[in-house]
Amino acid sequence: MRDRMANSDKEIIKSRIAWGIAFLLAFFWLLISLIPFVFMVFNSFRKQFDMLQQGPLHAPDPWYFDNYPQIVQNGIFGYFGRSVLIVAISLVLMLIISSFAAYPLSRMKFRLRNFIYAGIIAMMSIPMHVTLIPIFKMTNAMGLYNNKFSLIGPYVAFALPMSVFILTGFMMTIPREVEEAAVIDGCNKYSMFFRIIWPLSKSGLSTLAIYNGVSMWNEFAFANTFLNDAREKTLPLALGQFKGEFSMNMPMILSVLVLSALPMIVLFIIFQDKLVKGMMAGAVKG
Amino acid sequence: MNKPNQLARVESRNTAVAATVFLFPAIALIIVYMIYPIIDTFLTSQYSWNGISTDRVFVGMENWKTLIHDQKFWSAFGHNVIVMIFSILLQIPIGMLLATFLDAGGRKLNIFKIIWFLPYLMSSVAIAFLFTYILATNGGLFSTLATLINGKRTAVDLLGKSPQALYAVIGVMAWQFTPFYMVYFIAGYSNIPTTLYEAAVIDGANRRQYLFKVAIPMLGPIFKTACTMSMIGSLKYFDMIWNMTQGGPAGGTELMATYMYKLSFQQWKMGYGSAVAAGMFILITAIALLFQKIFVVKEDF
Amino acid sequence: MKKVLVMALALILIVSSMAALAEIPELTKEPMHILLWDISNEEPHKSTHEAAVKRFMEAYPNIEVEQVHIQNDTYKQQIVVQMSAGECPDMYIHWAGGPMAEYYKSGFANDLTELYNTYDHPDFTDAAIAQASYDGKILAIPYGGMSGCDIFYNKTIFEEVGVEVPETIDELEAVCDKLLEAGYVPFALANSSKWTGSMYYMYLVARHSGNAEFDAAYDGTGSFTSEAFIWAGNKIQDWVRKGYIIEGCNSLVTDNGDDRALMYSNTCAMMLQGSWQTRTMPNENKEWYEANLGTFRFPKDAEAEARGVPQDVEIGTAVGNAFSFNCWKEDGSVDEEKLKACYVLATQFYNDDIYNQEQMEHNTIPSIKGFEKQVTDPNMQVVVDTFFNASNVQLWYDQYLPASVTEVHKDCMTYLFGLEKTPEEIGQLQDEAMAAARAAM
Repeated sequence: MRDRMANSDKEIIKSRIAWGIAFLLAFFWLLISLIPFVFMVFNSFRKQFDMLQQGPLHAPDPWYFDNYPQIVQNGIFGYFGRSVLIVAISLVLMLIISSFAAYPLSRMKFRLRNFIYAGIIAMMSIPMHVTLIPIFKMTNAMGLYNNKFSLIGPYVAFALPMSVFILTGFMMTIPREVEEAAVIDGCNKYSMFFRIIWPLSKSGLSTLAIYNGVSMWNEFAFANTFLNDAREKTLPLALGQFKGEFSMNMPMILSVLVLSALPMIVLFIIFQDKLVKGMMAGAVKG
Repeated sequence: MNKPNQLARVESRNTAVAATVFLFPAIALIIVYMIYPIIDTFLTSQYSWNGISTDRVFVGMENWKTLIHDQKFWSAFGHNVIVMIFSILLQIPIGMLLATFLDAGGRKLNIFKIIWFLPYLMSSVAIAFLFTYILATNGGLFSTLATLINGKRTAVDLLGKSPQALYAVIGVMAWQFTPFYMVYFIAGYSNIPTTLYEAAVIDGANRRQYLFKVAIPMLGPIFKTACTMSMIGSLKYFDMIWNMTQGGPAGGTELMATYMYKLSFQQWKMGYGSAVAAGMFILITAIALLFQKIFVVKEDF
Repeated sequence: MKKVLVMALALILIVSSMAALAEIPELTKEPMHILLWDISNEEPHKSTHEAAVKRFMEAYPNIEVEQVHIQNDTYKQQIVVQMSAGECPDMYIHWAGGPMAEYYKSGFANDLTELYNTYDHPDFTDAAIAQASYDGKILAIPYGGMSGCDIFYNKTIFEEVGVEVPETIDELEAVCDKLLEAGYVPFALANSSKWTGSMYYMYLVARHSGNAEFDAAYDGTGSFTSEAFIWAGNKIQDWVRKGYIIEGCNSLVTDNGDDRALMYSNTCAMMLQGSWQTRTMPNENKEWYEANLGTFRFPKDAEAEARGVPQDVEIGTAVGNAFSFNCWKEDGSVDEEKLKACYVLATQFYNDDIYNQEQMEHNTIPSIKGFEKQVTDPNMQVVVDTFFNASNVQLWYDQYLPASVTEVHKDCMTYLFGLEKTPEEIGQLQDEAMAAARAAM
């Protein structure tokens, strides 16, 4: 592998050794990341008794394909669809609102800036279970109990502090010269945001989309408390169907987990290209 | 002449207005969904209450006094601190290494990026579930490996004894969250203008010089945010530990959040549980803000 | 003709007089909505319970019952959230014991004593009614069926090793030694949730001292460091050291089936577990269960028997699950109409013949007198015989003790089986917790 940055011969050899070690470690981490998945997928093709008798690390013997049709019969696509809807709406709202809020905190000087920034950090510290009961009462009072749309408010609100915090960090790395150039061109604070800052924050926004998308997709506690009607439940709650009072059907639970993770994996493969070097190329013209 | 002063004042008023407009939606949501519950928590912490009944007994600062002397709470806090230290030591450097590897290797290494990211996509509940099997004393990965190495049936008990349990959990947390930091640093690297990279190449810098003199310093603020996030996340942590050990064995992996949950929802002590939650909130905020103050990084360049 | 008429009249008189002895309350004809929360989200209970509700709604078309299934793990938390927000369901389940008392003290459980004494109901066992009561009042209607706990063993392994079912604890230890020699681990214990290990502790204490020492420790006249408790603790640690109990038991999870896995893979030969295993195991593999699984009651303490200590205390729950009702009007008075409707649902439709029959088919014995005679599964037969012949039923400590003490007791089980503390030390911990709880009561 020819590294553009290796100059002399000695450096090329050093670089080759370094890359060699790097690849070794990389493969090691690859294994670590992959093994639990392999485990999960394999065990979703077994029957519960076989898994217990032969142990979880045994290859499927015999292969049992009935777990997946069964969970489909139990309505997993309904859960799926509702999750997609709620997460999509919450995510879009969250991205918009947090970028709005990060802008003044990162690029403007005003009196309450530090106070609000400190406040945002404080909000990140709130342990979520503590808010369950007050928010539940509020949701109930709004008549939204057992309604999946009741999740949007908490999902967006809880994502905000961390997102604003991260995005502020990203926006702060945009060089002043870019802004100054825009001001000279006649931008005011508002158009500055829409024309300049927002487009340059794409990598930050992608990070946020991934971080929050995943956590909203997997969110359990609020969904569990607010949604008791099976027709409104989101995907993480589907697991509950297979857990009884004294035991659970592991392979079926694993098949639900595989199906839940798949769309995220596919989406990531498609969109991971956005995190590419060179987003700032051409941003600062001499 | 008053003109420059006037301009300055108009300018700063415009800024204030713009700031308000942009900040408004976020602050409104936060007030409704976060500030109101926090105030409610502080209020509840002054009562002795079982959580469900309509009578609550006002005890003032009694719960807080108990909290300060509560050994279980401080032991849980200790566990949180251990988690925090190790999480920062594990997740951020490894995440950074992975990101650096990918950044240096370019597009060809995409398959690595994808596979490395997989652990982050699973829910905490799922991970807890999976790893209870993988780390199981009977038939789990480590016991099987140990048996193979030793030749006779060996059991490696990771989750059933302290202090191994806490470190095993820290390991699983690292498995789960490192990919996020990897992505985070990739985004950070992609923020570095290619012009700087090109300039470095032209100047004849080798990779090591580029990394240490250009790339890493540029990542300064990103680094600080990453540490803050990891810190706060570790101090607040609940989901996976609850599903994996419920704070066991015998409190070996008890964190502040699991302690609070048990008090509020299982032991009929929601008043005291609220004090624990409020105490947690104060501690975490203090630590995070302290960190922000101590590690001041140049923001503009 | 006259004869027929007379007979018909006589019959009518007899039937109506019998009806007068056990009458069902008359329910309102107005439309009514009942919100019911249970944990029956899994078969086989799901169908049985939903069918009971359906039959009720068919009999009373003006009443709509909304039956919500909550997943067991989070049920206790959910109920707290609902009650806290003032949204407690009209009818909800619980496991009796400490939480039931708490619900009652906070005003979420109607007192059913009068209804129970006036109207018809199934002939529940005394133990069940005792468990469903608190402070002299009947607060719940059982419907979940009783659960005992006995030693399940692998008949095939016993035969192969050449051991018999032990009658006394000494014999049990001899059996364990033989099993170890043959390469088997005697007991499969998954103690991560701690109440599984507690079963060993509870039984050893009960065999050594009946109910006496536990009751004394509970009300403060005795202590958790008294003779039987120390004896039980030492026994357990002795068994752990000798290897009778599977290594690493503190990290095995019963909900994941870790203990059953050890049985299925022929690693272990015995498992002290709750009687619901006779439902779970056939569900997982009927052939294996029928071919290999046997049951025997926890052996006697011969020495204690000689001293006159009763050896027939059974550990378990007479009630399983029970319904409590939360029927109040806006002004705080009891909503009699709704309460009667819920009462009828619980006593006449849950617990009716169809319901009980379906329960029996799934190896769940209703807490009603007479059903113990209808068991077909031989393992369940052993459980039932022990249960119904018990002088009394001790409810699992972790449901019986106050919540704060339960937490300590469970941790003590981890310490005990993990050899981390001595029986004296854990006795002291439990004493302290119990004293603190008594002070708060």
